[in-house]
Amino acid sequence: MMNEDLSFSEARDVLRKWRDDNERKSDEVVQVFEYCLADKVKKLGNEKLIILEQVFIASLDCGRIKLAEDCIRVLISEFPESLRIMKLKSMLLEALERYDDALDVLESIIKRDETNAGPRKRKVAILKAKGQIGDAIKEMCDYLKKFMSDQEAWHELCNLYLMEGDYNKAAFCMEEVLLHNPYSHLIHQRLGDIRYTIGGQDNIEIAKSYYAQAIKLNGNNLRALYGLYLCCNHIALSKAQIAKRKEAQKLASWALQKISEITEKSTGKSSNLTGVSALEAAFGNLDIKTN
Amino acid sequence: MAELLIDPKIRGWVFLPIVVITFLVGIIRHYVSILISSSKKVEMTQLQDSQAMIRARLLRENGKYLTPQAFAMRKHFFNNEESGYFKTQKRPPATPNSSAMLTDLVKGNFINVLPMVVIGGWINWMFSGFVTTKVPFPLTFRFKPMLQRGVELQSLDASWVSSASWYFLNVFGLRNIYTLVLGENNAADQTQSMQDQMSLNAAGQMPQDPKQAFKNEWEALEIVEYKSALQNVCEDLLASNSHEPIENNIHH
Repeated sequence: MMNEDLSFSEARDVLRKWRDDNERKSDEVVQVFEYCLADKVKKLGNEKLIILEQVFIASLDCGRIKLAEDCIRVLISEFPESLRIMKLKSMLLEALERYDDALDVLESIIKRDETNAGPRKRKVAILKAKGQIGDAIKEMCDYLKKFMSDQEAWHELCNLYLMEGDYNKAAFCMEEVLLHNPYSHLIHQRLGDIRYTIGGQDNIEIAKSYYAQAIKLNGNNLRALYGLYLCCNHIALSKAQIAKRKEAQKLASWALQKISEITEKSTGKSSNLTGVSALEAAFGNLDIKTN
Repeated sequence: MAELLIDPKIRGWVFLPIVVITFLVGIIRHYVSILISSSKKVEMTQLQDSQAMIRARLLRENGKYLTPQAFAMRKHFFNNEESGYFKTQKRPPATPNSSAMLTDLVKGNFINVLPMVVIGGWINWMFSGFVTTKVPFPLTFRFKPMLQRGVELQSLDASWVSSASWYFLNVFGLRNIYTLVLGENNAADQTQSMQDQMSLNAAGQMPQDPKQAFKNEWEALEIVEYKSALQNVCEDLLASNSHEPIENNIHH
């Protein structure tokens, strides 16, 4: 990496940029800090503490416990009472897998400021790390009763439900995320995935609409195209009305064509499209059955 | 009219001191307000209410992307007669004379009104009656009361500025300097905080009363008609691409 020979101010700027953009470049952050800034921490002035916080989190991410301890020592001596630092402390305990201690710290933060969302989310994260998905879900539901427009939390709850295989509830959570971002093709596609997984005629119809919407928003969403193809395939094979089946067939062939266009574009014409040809074969079968 | 000559001592002892005093008072105000300000404690219920309102609003705006069932379910959660969130959550109306608000009010007065009165009065008393400077362009007669407070001379040209007026010009004009020195969102600027107070009195009452806000949101949600946005999306997809010839029509 180039990170080793940044000048002091360049290093500071790049850290600031990553911090502002919320980028999780933990390796890079630690690297930049160690090579360029570690000896000149005092020169950072106003930014010193916030950079230390950033480096602290990054170093936990990389498992650099020693560096993290150095950072938090400075921070604690600066703000012995701060809730924000207490949360960092619990994260350190978490990284050391001392989960119960971490939970104690988090509890005490919540007791002092019950409107603080961060520590509640960390509690869920700890439960998830311990593999207690059921408890994590319960905790997350409690959290969402109070903070019901936290889309990040809804998304996480969706993932938790998916881990448990509770697809109906996962779909509910994903719908909640969709309400926040109605123009994100990925969320439409995800909802389609979940609905398709649940199965059943109605759900596949819904999955079809969501996939179609995802494709409408982003024509290059290959996964949504495949999803649409599978849904239409399913509908065409089902006992639905003839008109519906005809339309599904049309849509399926359109999706298939689109898929092959995209794959051709990205792989070059010469390569043999085994995946697509397999699908085509499947579609050929379907053709025989329906006619 | 004969040109006035102003004693250079007025510059040294009136003009510049007023600038320095207003500036320093602003700086002191900034730090005092930091010192005595308490971080606003948000009530848990208040937070929960506002989050619920956001969720209901999003449901109204983007509910069309949900399935009819999912939409009805959420609407039921908020608006059901017996168990709906907006119906069951009873919040006591905010009491305006709770002690926290009272201390805030006293503090606000302490940093805003008191210095304004004291420093203003002192400047008026100390530096009254000086003609301090002249704006470099002619002004009409109507500017006289604005620029020549404390110096009521009929024959004086309107572009001369009196000391009291100079003080007010400083009070209102130093905002950008404060941003330069203290950064954004400083508490030094008096005019800003006065505006805040005004708007607080006018509009601050509204979100204080969750009952009313709930009722509004309930009404808005009640009249929303569900119309699926995904109804015709498949047809749209086909229609938008129908001009492209479908090459490999396998099902023929």
